[in-house]
Amino acid sequence: MQLSPEEAARALAAIETSRATMRSAIRAYRGHAHLWLWGIIWIAMAMLAQFHGPAGIRLFPWLVGAGIALSMVLGSVQGNRVRAPVDKRFLGVLAAVLVFAAIVPVVLRAPANNQAIFAYCGLVAMLCYVIAGLWFDTYLLWLGLVITALILVGLFCFPAIFWWWIAIFGGGTLIVTGFYIRYFWR
Amino acid sequence: MPELDSVIHQPVRLQIMAALGHLGAREQVDFSFLKNTLALTDGNLGAHLLTLEQAGYIAVEKTFVGRKPKTFVAPTASGRRAFEAHVAALTAILKPNKIS
Repeated sequence: MQLSPEEAARALAAIETSRATMRSAIRAYRGHAHLWLWGIIWIAMAMLAQFHGPAGIRLFPWLVGAGIALSMVLGSVQGNRVRAPVDKRFLGVLAAVLVFAAIVPVVLRAPANNQAIFAYCGLVAMLCYVIAGLWFDTYLLWLGLVITALILVGLFCFPAIFWWWIAIFGGGTLIVTGFYIRYFWR
Repeated sequence: MPELDSVIHQPVRLQIMAALGHLGAREQVDFSFLKNTLALTDGNLGAHLLTLEQAGYIAVEKTFVGRKPKTFVAPTASGRRAFEAHVAALTAILKPNKIS
């Protein structure tokens, strides 16, 4: 098979066009909607804690439950277009992390305030992001590490403004990352 | 020196392989999504996918989502390698000294 340089250039240009079209189309399925959803939920939880105290914190499980349900719906809708078959080993790892994360505080009989409990749950969620990042897409790894650092800084350095910190740097980072993934990610 | 692949070089198949090459290692794309993204017709896309599947360059999985039949497509490892070799061959035609 012989091609002239002009024909080769045309073929390479067609490849680049096709790649760019697919890149743009597929960005809508890279998980940005989940980041927006959880960013909003983190902000809502932080604001409930900030302005309504323990009464607001009692609503956290409902918000998290709603978030999980909406995430499942989103995953189901998006999986109609672009999907990655479920990796049972990955699900097993996540299940193990969550079970052990639930056991550890009980074993340690850890006394904790609401901020520490939220930070602990947030860190467990970020551990799941890190694992997902190692397994699937690197942006989740970096996002998990960055928010982990932000949670720790907020908890230990700025306890007086912890809930504002979580809203801005936790929820805000999730939302901004969602925009980045939607419009700029590879 | 990489060689051109006559199966991949056909313009529509080139377009398809370039698009599928953008998927992650475990990802699959829906037939209709691919058709709309590449602005192809059902028949045209189906025929070229069959050729690529017979060459072992893509894997086609037919399944049901709810009660609707769906067809998902993904490049195989050999398909990715063949496409990369084809791109390298095209690049070598443009820049023979640089590649060799």
